[in-house]
Amino acid sequence: MSAQLFLDGVHRSFDGFKAINNLTLSVDKGELRAVIGPNGAGKTTMMDIITGKTRPDGGEVLWNMSTDLTRMDEASVANLGIGRKFQKPTVFETHTVEDNIRLALKAPRGVFATLFHRTGKAEEARVTALLDQIRLTHLRAEDAANLSHGQKQWLEIGMLLAQEPDLLLVDEPAAGMTDAETMETAELLKSIAGQRTVIVVEHDMDFVRALDCRVTVLHQGSVLAEGSLDHVSARDDVIEVYLGR
Amino acid sequence: MSKLIDLRMGLFLAALFIVTVLVPIASTLDQGSALSIPSYLIPLMGKYLCYAILAVALDLCWGYAGILSLGHGAFFALGGYAIGMHLMREIGARGVYANPDLPDFMVFLGWNELPWFWYGFDWFPFAAVMALLVPGALAFVFGWFAFRSRVSGVYLSIITQALTFALLLAFFRNEMGFGGNNGLTDFRDVLGFSLSAPSTRIALFVLTAIALAACLLIAKAITVSKAGKVLVAVRDAESRTRFMGYRVENYSVFVFTVSAMMAGLAGALYVPQVGIINPGEFAPANSIEIVVWVALGGRGTLVGAAIGALVVVAVESWLTANFPDLWLFALGALFIIVVLWMPNGLLGLVEKLRLRRKPAPDPNTETPA
Amino acid sequence: MLLRPFLRLVALCLAMLTPLAASAQTLEELVTQLPAGSYDDRAAVVAEIAATGDPRALAVLEALLEGELEQRNSDGRIVIVGGTRRAPTGTDALTGEDLGELGRRATERIRVNNSLRRTIRTAMGVMTLRDPDPARRLAAAEAALRSPAVEQLDALDAAMQAEELDYIREAQTLAHAATILASDADTDTKLDAVAVISGASALTVQSTLNAYRAAEDPALAAAVADAIEAAERRQALWGQAQNLWFGLSLGSVLLLAAIGLAITFGVMGVINLAHGELVMLGAYTTFLVQETIRTHAPEYFGWSLAIAVPLAFLFVGAVGVAIERGIVRHLYGRPLETLLATWGVSLILQQAVRSVFGPTNREVGTPDWMSGAFQLGEMTVTWPRVAIVIFSLTVFFGLLLTMRYSAMGLQMRAVTQNRAMAANLGIRTGRVDALTFGLGAGIAGLAGVALSQIDNVSPNLGQSYIIDSFLVVVFGGVGNLWGTLAAAMSLGVANKFLEPWAGAVLGKILILIFIILFIQKRPRGLFPQRGRAAEG
Repeated sequence: MSAQLFLDGVHRSFDGFKAINNLTLSVDKGELRAVIGPNGAGKTTMMDIITGKTRPDGGEVLWNMSTDLTRMDEASVANLGIGRKFQKPTVFETHTVEDNIRLALKAPRGVFATLFHRTGKAEEARVTALLDQIRLTHLRAEDAANLSHGQKQWLEIGMLLAQEPDLLLVDEPAAGMTDAETMETAELLKSIAGQRTVIVVEHDMDFVRALDCRVTVLHQGSVLAEGSLDHVSARDDVIEVYLGR
Repeated sequence: MSKLIDLRMGLFLAALFIVTVLVPIASTLDQGSALSIPSYLIPLMGKYLCYAILAVALDLCWGYAGILSLGHGAFFALGGYAIGMHLMREIGARGVYANPDLPDFMVFLGWNELPWFWYGFDWFPFAAVMALLVPGALAFVFGWFAFRSRVSGVYLSIITQALTFALLLAFFRNEMGFGGNNGLTDFRDVLGFSLSAPSTRIALFVLTAIALAACLLIAKAITVSKAGKVLVAVRDAESRTRFMGYRVENYSVFVFTVSAMMAGLAGALYVPQVGIINPGEFAPANSIEIVVWVALGGRGTLVGAAIGALVVVAVESWLTANFPDLWLFALGALFIIVVLWMPNGLLGLVEKLRLRRKPAPDPNTETPA
Repeated sequence: MLLRPFLRLVALCLAMLTPLAASAQTLEELVTQLPAGSYDDRAAVVAEIAATGDPRALAVLEALLEGELEQRNSDGRIVIVGGTRRAPTGTDALTGEDLGELGRRATERIRVNNSLRRTIRTAMGVMTLRDPDPARRLAAAEAALRSPAVEQLDALDAAMQAEELDYIREAQTLAHAATILASDADTDTKLDAVAVISGASALTVQSTLNAYRAAEDPALAAAVADAIEAAERRQALWGQAQNLWFGLSLGSVLLLAAIGLAITFGVMGVINLAHGELVMLGAYTTFLVQETIRTHAPEYFGWSLAIAVPLAFLFVGAVGVAIERGIVRHLYGRPLETLLATWGVSLILQQAVRSVFGPTNREVGTPDWMSGAFQLGEMTVTWPRVAIVIFSLTVFFGLLLTMRYSAMGLQMRAVTQNRAMAANLGIRTGRVDALTFGLGAGIAGLAGVALSQIDNVSPNLGQSYIIDSFLVVVFGGVGNLWGTLAAAMSLGVANKFLEPWAGAVLGKILILIFIILFIQKRPRGLFPQRGRAAEG
C-alpha cells in the first residue's frame, strides 16, 4: 500500500515556540489512524498544516506522494478530497440542517455553478440518506443553531461524509457525546475506514481503544511513539509524558 | 418561483406597483383636486426610490455576506457621475460659454480639449453601461485584493471608508476633470426629453420603480440560490466554508461587485431626477447613513432595507424642513436604538408581533440550552 | 545700564580714529556749514558730519533727507521743522530744544538733490553702523549687506573692529565682504570675500552673489558659481530637514489623535467612531477654560492650557465612561454593531455642540510663551509645533508606562487577554472596561487641547481626524502602541515629503491609496501581534 499522506520533516514555530518540530508521519490509503498526545503536543497545528490553514516553516506534506499541500490554501486542499471536522463543532447556524448537508455535498464549488444550481432527485435522495445515517431526519427543517451539542457533532460528521473526501481529519469527535453515541461514532469511523483514510485526534482513551487502530503519540511537535494502543501505552516515555505533568 | 416572491416581497412589490400606477395618474389630475400630486414632488419620490435601491444593494452584501461596506456611497456617486457626464455632453452649445465641445466648467478652467476619459460619454448607451461598469470594476478590483488577503469585518469597513474618502478628495480637485467642487449640473435634457418636463419626470420615476423591483428580484434570486446559501455560510462560519472547498474570496468579490453595480444604477437614476452630482456624495457620512436604513428596515431581508430607506429619508426630509436642529439627534439616536433594541429591524418587530398574536410556537423549536 | 554710555564713548573714540574724522570739526560747526555752497560742498559736509560719530548727527541727517531741515532766517539757527505747513513748529537740530511756532516764512529749507540723498543715506548707514542701540546696528549692517555702497567700506571696517557683540560683527563682516565685491579690489581680496559670504545663510549667499555670476574675472565667476551651488545644495538639504520636521509634527498630531483609539480599538477591540467627537470635546473644553479665564482672571491666561489639560482629560474621560456603560458595554464581541452605535453617538455629540456653541469656529488663543519661532540652520521652527511634538510624545510615553507598570494597566491587559480568567482572579472586569474606555477617551480629550492650537475649533473638528486615526492604528498594527507611534510618524513624514511635488490633496490621496493597498497586503499592520492566538 502506498502512503496517502506523508509529512516529511515538517516544522513550524510561533514566536520561538516550536509547535511542530521535525514531524514525520505517514498514513496509508484506507487506514484508520488515531493521533493522541497531551495538550500543546501540536495536534491541532498538524491538522492546520495539512489542511492549508497554516504554512509550515519547512518540510513537505505530500498527498498521494505527488502533490505538495504546503503550497495550497484551504479550498484547494479541500477540493483534493481532504475533509476536516473541527474540535468545536462548527455548523452554519442560520441554515437548516438539510441545507447544511446540501452545502457540503460533493458538487462543483464555483460561484456560477452554485448560482445556477438546480436541486435534482439524486441530490434529494443523497441528503435524505445522510440525514438518516446521522439520525437527524426529524430535524431536517430546523435551524442548526437549535441543535444540541451532540446533534451538532453528528451534523458535522454528516457534512464531512457528504463531502465524500478521500481523507477525513476528525478532531475530537466524541466531545460532548454520551457514552453510547461515542461508541456509535467509533463504529461509524471504523466502517468508513477502508474505502477512505481517517485520521482521528482524540483525548478519550476509551474511544481510541474502541477504534482499535494504529496510534501515533505526539509530544512537543514530533512523534514520540507509534504502534498499537497497548504497545504505546506500555512505553515508559509515553507514560511519563502523560502522567509526568 | 414561490421562493423568489414570498409574502413580504409580494406585498412590497404590489404596493410599489400601485404607487407607480397611481402617481402618474394623480400628477395629471387638476391642480385643484385633492388627490393631485404637484409635478415637483415626483423627482423627490423618484429620489427616495433610488435610495431604496441603494439600500437593497448594501443589504445584499452586508445582510447576506456579512460585508459591511462603508463606501457604498462611492459606487452610487460613480454611477451618478457617469450619467452626469452624459447629461453634460447633451447640454452641448447651450451652456453659458456656448462651447459645443466642452462643458462650461472646462471652458472656465481654460481647457482646450475634452480629456480622454470623457470620450464616448456623449453616446447614451456608453454612459449607461459605464454607470454600471465603473462601480462594478472598482468593486471587483478592490474586492479582489481585499478578500484575497482575507481582509474582513471591521478592517474591511475601515478601508472601504478610506476608499470613499480618497475619492471624495480626488473629485474635489478641479484637475480631475469632473467639475471639482461644483460637480456636474445645469442639465437640460436626456435623450432629447427636457428634464423639467412633467412627462420626463414621470418616466424617470416609473423607470426607477421598475429598477427597484428588478434589483429586489435579482438580489432575492441570488440569496435563495445555492450561491446565496454559501454567502450566508461564509457570514456565519467563514473558515468552515473554506474547509468545505468553497473559495470564499470569489463569492465575496462576486456579491460585492453585483452590489456595487446596483448602487451605480441607483446613482445613475438619481442624477437626472435631482439635477446635480457633486463630490459631496462621496462623503463617508453618506455611506454610513445607508447602513442605518438597512439596519432599521431589517438586515438580511432586502424588502426591509428598501422600507428602511424610504422611512428614514422621509423622516429626514420632514425633520430638516421643520426642525433642522433635531435631525442629527434623531439620526444618531436611531443608530443607537436600532443596534441596541431592534437587532432585526422593523421587519423583525413586525414578525415578533405576528408570532405573539399566534398561539405558542411548536415546542420543538425551543432553543436547547 | 552702564553699557549704553560706555558704548557711546567707544563709538565716539573710534569715529575719531577713522580717516574721515581727521578734520576734527565739531558737529555744531559742521551743521552750520550745511546751508552754504553747492550740492557737492554739502555732500562733503554730510560725510564729515557722519564721521563725527556723534549720535545726534543721525537725527540731523534724517531731517535733511526728509527735507525737514531748515535754517531760521532770524538767527541762522538750524532747526527741524514739524507741525503743519500753515503753522510750522521747530526744534533745535542739535539740542532738541522746542522753539515753538516758527511763523510761515521764518525759515529757509536746506535743499537736497538725488545725488546728495544717496550720500546722506550712505552717511546715515555709516552712522547707524555704530549706533549705541544693538538692534539698529544690526539693521544697519543688514542694510549695508543688501545694498553695498563702496563709500561705507571703511566705516564697516571700523565698525567691525569696534563691535563687541558676535552676531552683529558677523553681519558686519558679511556686509563688508559684499561691499568689497562691489568695490574695485583685486581678485584675491574678492575671492576671500566670496569665501566669507559662502558661510552665510543660503538665501544671503544667493541674493548677494547672484549679481557676480557673470563677473569678468573667470576665477571670481567660478568661485561665485561654486558658492551659489554649495548654498543651493545646503538649502535643498535643509529643505529636506524642514520637510522631516513638518512631517514629524504632523505625525505628532496624528499620533495624538490616534493614541486614544489605540487604547479603545487596539487594546479593547472597540470600534469607536465617536472618537473624533471626543477630541472635539477636548478642544471645546479648552475654549471654555479660556473664556472663563478671559472674563474672570485675564492675568492667568498663560496658564489656560495647563488648566485645560487635566480638565479635558477628566471631562472627556467621564464622557467616555458614560458611553461605555450606556452603550458599548452591551455590544462587546459585535464590532460592526459597536461601529454603528458609536457613529450614532458621534452625530449626537456633534449636533449637541453645534446647538450649544453654534456652527462657526470658536477662537482659542495661544499663550504668549508658546508663540513665536526660532531659527535652526536654514529653517524656521515655530514654538507651537515644538510644543505639540513634545506634548504628544509625553502623552505617548506616559500611556506606555501606565499600561506597563501601573496596577490599572496590568488589569487592563489581563482583561483584554483573558476575560474569564481575569474575572476569576477577582478583577472587576466591568470596572476595568469602563476605565480603559475612559482612559482612551481622556487621551482623546488631551488631543483636543493640543489640536485647538493648530486647527479650527468647530463641531466638525472630529470628523477630519477620525479616518486618519483609524488608518494610523490599523497601519501600525492593532494592539501595538509602538506600532501606532511608528505609523503616525511615518505617515506624517511621507505626507510632507509627497506634498511638494504632488500637492497637499493629491499627496493625501496617495497616502490613503497606499494604506488601502498595504492593509490588503498585510491585514495585521506594520507590527502585527504574533503567536498562535493571532492566527485564529
